[in-house]
Amino acid sequence: MIDLNNLTIERAHELLKNKELTVRELVNFYLENIKSKNERINAYLEIFDDIEEGIKQAELIFSQGKDTLLTGIPIAIKDNILINGHIASASSLMLGNYKATYDSFVTKKLKEEGAIFIGRTNMDEFAMGSSTETSAFGVTRNPLDESRVPGGSSGGSAAAVAGDMALISLGTETCGSVRQPAAFTGLVGFKPSYGTVSRFGIISMGSSLDQVGPMARTVRDVEIIFNSIAKHDKKDSTSIPDEKRILENKIFRKKIGVPREFLNGGGVDKKVLDNFNENCEILKKAGYEIVDIDLPILKYSLSVYYIIMPAEVSSNLARYDGIRYGLSEDAPNLLEVYTKSRGIGFGKEVRRRILLGTYILSHGYHDAYYNKAITVRKMIKDAIYKSFEEVDAFITPSVPFLPFKLGEKFNNPMSMYLSDIYSAPANLADVPAIAIPAGKDENGLPFSLQITAPFLREDILFQIGKDFEKQQKDN
Amino acid sequence: MQIEDVKKLASLARINMSEEEMDEIVKDFKPVLEYVDQIQEISGEESKENKDGGYYFIKNITREDEVENNDIEMNKDILANVPQTEDRFIKVKQIL
Repeated sequence: MIDLNNLTIERAHELLKNKELTVRELVNFYLENIKSKNERINAYLEIFDDIEEGIKQAELIFSQGKDTLLTGIPIAIKDNILINGHIASASSLMLGNYKATYDSFVTKKLKEEGAIFIGRTNMDEFAMGSSTETSAFGVTRNPLDESRVPGGSSGGSAAAVAGDMALISLGTETCGSVRQPAAFTGLVGFKPSYGTVSRFGIISMGSSLDQVGPMARTVRDVEIIFNSIAKHDKKDSTSIPDEKRILENKIFRKKIGVPREFLNGGGVDKKVLDNFNENCEILKKAGYEIVDIDLPILKYSLSVYYIIMPAEVSSNLARYDGIRYGLSEDAPNLLEVYTKSRGIGFGKEVRRRILLGTYILSHGYHDAYYNKAITVRKMIKDAIYKSFEEVDAFITPSVPFLPFKLGEKFNNPMSMYLSDIYSAPANLADVPAIAIPAGKDENGLPFSLQITAPFLREDILFQIGKDFEKQQKDN
Repeated sequence: MQIEDVKKLASLARINMSEEEMDEIVKDFKPVLEYVDQIQEISGEESKENKDGGYYFIKNITREDEVENNDIEMNKDILANVPQTEDRFIKVKQIL
C-alpha cells in the first residue's frame, strides 16, 4: 500500500503516470479523510456532486497522453472563486444561494488540465478576517491543533491541505490571506505579483490589492500551480500581457536583506524572532549572504492598508443591493429593500469595514486619509523597489505570532488586524511574497519564513524557497 | 467619532443597523483610527521615480458595446439568481 499522506504534485503524477495509482484511488483517499475529519474541522462548506465527471475527464486526458502535472490532482477551491454551476457564497449569507454562471479564469485553466475540484472551502466572510471566524457558516479549526484557528481569510483552503483533505488548494489574498493561513497550518502559501493571475470570476474585496494564490506542501508545488494559472487574460484589465512578463537582465546575487527595524517594531513574539534568526543561519549555510537593510517606511504599511482596503471594500460591496442577485429582503420601498438586505446579508465585520471605508471616503476625511494613504503607499513601493538594488529579496517572519486560540482575538479587531503586519508590504507594493514552513515549536505549532522579491521575480522566491527547504532537511 | 456619525455612515452605506451595534462600532473604530493616524507623521513628498506607480502594464480596455455571447442557457442561469423577475426582466420596486 502506497502512503498517500503528505503527497506532492510530482509524486502523485508519477504514481498516476506509472499506473501504480488510479485517479479514483487518489480522489477516494481525500474523500475518506473528508468523511472522518471535515465535520469537526469545517474546511469545506460543500463537497461537489460532480467529482465523478472530473475523474472521468482526468482519466480521458491520461488515456490520450495529453496529461500535465495537474491532471487528476484533487484541489480545494476557496468559496470566493467562481466555478460554473456551483454556489460561490464568499461565506456570506448575502451570497448563500448564489450560483456561478461562468468559470473564473483560474478554474477554467485548471479544468483544462484536468485538475479535480473537490469542494469549496470556508473563509472569512468576503475575505475579511485573519482567522476564518467571520464566516457566516461556522469557524474552521486548525488540523494541527483543533483548539486553534487555521488563520484566514483562506483558512478552509489551508485546513483542507493540512488535513490531507486535498492535495493542493487555491486561496485569495488582499493582505496575507493566503500566506498567513499557510503559515498557521505548516504549508507553503504564495502571493504572486499583482497582475500575474487574472481575477476574472473572483469575488472582489480590495481591487488594487486582490490576487489569487496557491497553497501546497512544497515550494515546487506552488510553482507548478502558479505556472498553470499565471497567463494573460483580457477579461482582467490589470492582467499583464504575456510578452511583458519576460524580463531581461535577471540579476541573482544570492544576497538577502533583513529589515531589522520593521521586525522588532510589530509586537513580535520572542519565539518567532528566535526562529527567524535560526532561519537566517540556515540560509547562510545554503550559501546566501544576509545583510540588514533600512526600510523605516514599512512600519506604516498596515496603517496604509487599513485605509485603502476599507475604502475599496465600501465601493466594491455597493453592488450587493438585493436586486440583481444575492439575498433580498422584501420591504415597502426600494430604499428599505437595500438597507434591510444589506443589514441582514452582511455580517458584523463586513458591516464594520464598509462603514470604515464610507467614513474614510467621506467629505472632509478623503484628503487626510485616502489621498494621504495613496501617497504613502507609493513611498512604500518606491522604498521597496530601491532596496532591491542592493539585495535580491528580503525576509521576515510570515506572521508575528503563532496560531492563536479560537475566540482569542475575535472581539478585539485591532489585535486581529495586527496579524497582517508583515503581509501588508507585498500587497501594497504589488510584489510577490511566499510563506514557507520553518519548523515547529515544542507544542507542534508551525513557524514560517516569509520571502519577498521584486515585481515579476517569482523565480527568485522559488529558488530561495527550494534552497531553504533543502538546507532545512540537511541540517 | 460619535453615534450620530455612525448613523450617518450607515445611512450612506445603506445598511440597516441597531443602535447597540452602532455603539459598538464607535468603540471599535477608536483604536483603528488611532492606529491608521500614524501616517499623518509622514511629511515626505513622493519620489519622482515610477511616476505611473509602476502600473506601466495597465491600460484602459474598451470595446464596442456589442453582444459577444448570446448564450440563452447562460441568460437563464443569470436570471435564476435574480430575486424577483417578470418574464426576462429584473423586477424593481417603483421609485417615482
